[in-house]
Amino acid sequence: MKRILIVDDEQDVCLYLSRLFRENGYEVSCAGDGNEALERVQQDKPDLITLDLSMPNKSGVKFYREIKSRPDLSATPVVMVTGVTGPGGNPADTERFYRTRHQVPPPEGFVPKPVDREEILNLVNKLLS
Amino acid sequence: MENKLTASELDGVSFFDEVPCYISIQDRSCRVLRANRKMREDFGAPASMPCYAMFKGRKEQCPECIVEHTYEDGREHESAGVIFDRRGLPHDVLVKTRPLRGPSGEIVAVMQMFTDIAVQKELEHRLHDSLTRFHNLFDLAPCFIALQDRELRILEANDRFQASFGSPLGRFCYQVYKGRREPCSGCPVARTFADGETHTGEHALTDSTGKQVDLVVYTAPLRNARGDITEVMSVSADITEIRALEDKLASLGRLVGGIAHSVKNVLEGLRGGVYIVNLGFRDNNQEDIRTGWDMVQRNVARVSSMIMDMLYCARDRSPRRLPVSLAGVAKEVVGLFSARAQDRGVQLETQVAEDAGTVLGEPRDIHSLLANLVTNAIDACSSDQDAEKTGRVLIRIRREKGEAVIEVEDNGIGMDEETRGKLFTTFFSTKGTFGTGLGLLVAHKVATEHGGTIGVRSAAGEGSTFTVKLPSNQEQ
Repeated sequence: MKRILIVDDEQDVCLYLSRLFRENGYEVSCAGDGNEALERVQQDKPDLITLDLSMPNKSGVKFYREIKSRPDLSATPVVMVTGVTGPGGNPADTERFYRTRHQVPPPEGFVPKPVDREEILNLVNKLLS
Repeated sequence: MENKLTASELDGVSFFDEVPCYISIQDRSCRVLRANRKMREDFGAPASMPCYAMFKGRKEQCPECIVEHTYEDGREHESAGVIFDRRGLPHDVLVKTRPLRGPSGEIVAVMQMFTDIAVQKELEHRLHDSLTRFHNLFDLAPCFIALQDRELRILEANDRFQASFGSPLGRFCYQVYKGRREPCSGCPVARTFADGETHTGEHALTDSTGKQVDLVVYTAPLRNARGDITEVMSVSADITEIRALEDKLASLGRLVGGIAHSVKNVLEGLRGGVYIVNLGFRDNNQEDIRTGWDMVQRNVARVSSMIMDMLYCARDRSPRRLPVSLAGVAKEVVGLFSARAQDRGVQLETQVAEDAGTVLGEPRDIHSLLANLVTNAIDACSSDQDAEKTGRVLIRIRREKGEAVIEVEDNGIGMDEETRGKLFTTFFSTKGTFGTGLGLLVAHKVATEHGGTIGVRSAAGEGSTFTVKLPSNQEQ
């Protein structure tokens, strides 16, 4: 069974996406910030990560840059799931992401909040097939 | 035949009568013995009238009479003044006197010659007017104006400039504006000296009181008759208030962006809840139904408190001034949150000084101020993953120098400097599902609306102390 790691500081988003992915035959784990996510990635070795951008402690941007620069983790596909869909929405984290993303490969997918269930499932199924 | 005067014909002309200015001869008591034709035409026959009566309508000799001076010292004198002709019209004149001597050298009379200087006077008035006008423009213009030389020394500066930056004459602009030892990079004055064009730039400077001022500077070259640039004029407008407004607008933009982001998350929670409830109905799974329904309830509560906070932040009225007992408010808030604190293993304590007294204000607002600080403190402790540490929140209330002081201290996760910097001014949350992002904005608004202040001391990993100071109720 393929494993998905959901990284979001919104507990309800984690609950929602976990239930959605489990319902569709995936194994799921959750992390509430970038630090916790890094531990989970190393322990659980997920096949795909969904990632929020703005989070306390370590933001999604920092976490993303970290895993994409590590040879052992960079192949894991990442789907950005965020309420911030462009510059000018929320602030520093997104701006930093847009400004520096040329230094790392772009994420494999991008899904805006509120999440369209069909859209995210199609994307995840495709990336994991 | 050429029309020329011969020498003998010239002898026959009375030059005294023909000179194109006024001439009179006076005796020692200033009586006019003789006057030339121009004077007789404009001032009438002298008939032994004294000059002061004839020219000025005076009954006695003028003070500092130069006729008298010439009689006394035998020398020429001159003065300027106004004399009035027979029609009463004033003439601005320059007057010169010269002694006329008898055969043995004694002064027998004094000659006075009056040159009409009306045109010069008029020019002088105009020059004076235009100088006054220029100075008014220069000094009263609502901007800072300075003239600088090629070495960037300030040669002239208007009053407004000197009022804000002290007397800068002879000093370098970079010294006066920024306390620097060398020119700023991209200096617009230096660029204008180099290319003769107008340049502009924005600079943040410090005025003589140490206040930061944002200026937009325009420069223009001043050239001499040969067209060389001798000085550069800089005209600067104070845009500090515009910048402050821009910052306010930007922070409003961030607030709206933050709220939109938060609303999306609430929406996500609601949709997720409904989805899980539906799965529960489909599979007749009570656990799914309960989980989903909890999510719906949580997010409905969250959107309600977010809207209440937003309404509070948008409200623009002064709070009522009712006596509010801080000890009473602390008791209410502790009652409200003790169960929550206990659930999370956080000790919630109060220390109220006996003279804590009351403040004048809106009871609900003071309550919500303290409630916001206490929930934050409890959350800061429960987010701390240090298992060794027992979370502790302490509410201290006391009176200090006529102010009521409320302190909420926790030993939770604390904050770094970046987080501290944006706490009170913008939509800000590090609490995911649990915060509206508006709590400290509300606390800040309550404190300032009640004439008080709010501040924070914090270190990452060690905890935070929020301190609110409100004016004490003097009537108690």
